[in-house]
Amino acid sequence: MQEAPDDELVAAVAQGDGQACAVLMERHLGRIVALARRMMGNQADAEEIAQEVFLRVWTNAGKWEPGRAQFGTWLHRVAANLCLDRLRRQRSTVDIDDLPDLVSAEPGPDRRLEADELAARVEAALQELPERQRAAIALSHYQGLSNTETAEILDVSVEAVESLLSRGRRQLRSLLATEKDELLRSRETSA
Amino acid sequence: MELTTMKSEISLERLEAIIDAYGASPMRWPAGERAAAEALLAASVEARSLLADARMLDGMLAAAPVEAPSDALVARLMAARPRGAAAPAGPARPQGFFRELVASVWPYGSPVLPAGALAASIMLGVALGSVSEFTVIDGGLTASASEEADTDDRLIALALADITWPEEWM
Repeated sequence: MQEAPDDELVAAVAQGDGQACAVLMERHLGRIVALARRMMGNQADAEEIAQEVFLRVWTNAGKWEPGRAQFGTWLHRVAANLCLDRLRRQRSTVDIDDLPDLVSAEPGPDRRLEADELAARVEAALQELPERQRAAIALSHYQGLSNTETAEILDVSVEAVESLLSRGRRQLRSLLATEKDELLRSRETSA
Repeated sequence: MELTTMKSEISLERLEAIIDAYGASPMRWPAGERAAAEALLAASVEARSLLADARMLDGMLAAAPVEAPSDALVARLMAARPRGAAAPAGPARPQGFFRELVASVWPYGSPVLPAGALAASIMLGVALGSVSEFTVIDGGLTASASEEADTDDRLIALALADITWPEEWM
């Protein structure tokens, strides 16, 4: 069962096989939670999205057509679309003043950037990206999907994916300029 | 699966665009251009100088937090998993003497059950008819033809209704 291809596991899920459900989750749940975490910026929303994705798998397993698509790519597509939908809904209600402020957490020049602090600031910087740039970076950079798969999931051309990635990375570079300087300084100090 | 044609060489400008979009790790570069890009990197100091800034950003992006799915999420999903059709293939259920006798006489199914169902539905119809008569007399009202038709329509709609999933499950 552990070695079974995804298509076989999905067919077994449709028959109510609990072990197949467990193996599918073991194989894919962590990656889907990670994708949603990059997109949503917090673990609670990420787990809610992942839950919705897998409930759809449980519900639609009987309709899955083996060989028609890669199951993992399909999961990413469902998760990315759910995240984009939720972000669009949130956008209309979020107050701009509630957004995390990258500059306010700026440490003093004599302080090394702690790992947790850097993690929080990188996550906040990702949340400042426009949604589709964030999705492209989450899918391509973090999830390691090819540009063709990313383009298919976002329903755009490969050239458009490349443009989203370039613009996204450029903005991240600018948002994280202070952190970069601090890291360089701490490297020089420790050298 | 990536269906791309392999390029044998690329320009410095194209390499810069690739690094700008995909970062410093060749693993993330488009498969069709990866070999040519790596060859250019190996041959050109100028090309290698493009990597430093991208490596720095990649390093910072790697710091973004990631957490494993919680046990509670896994438990919720296991509790919600489909359970319906997983009847394990085992020995046939033993049948009683009466069922075996019926099966030997009517191998394609006994007419007793459909006949019984027909009789039961006739009796139910008679009973319902009597009840509605009493109601009409008690209330001093006469049921109109349109009301009867409306009730019939609703019963037919109920009987033929498709089982549909709530929208949020689709």
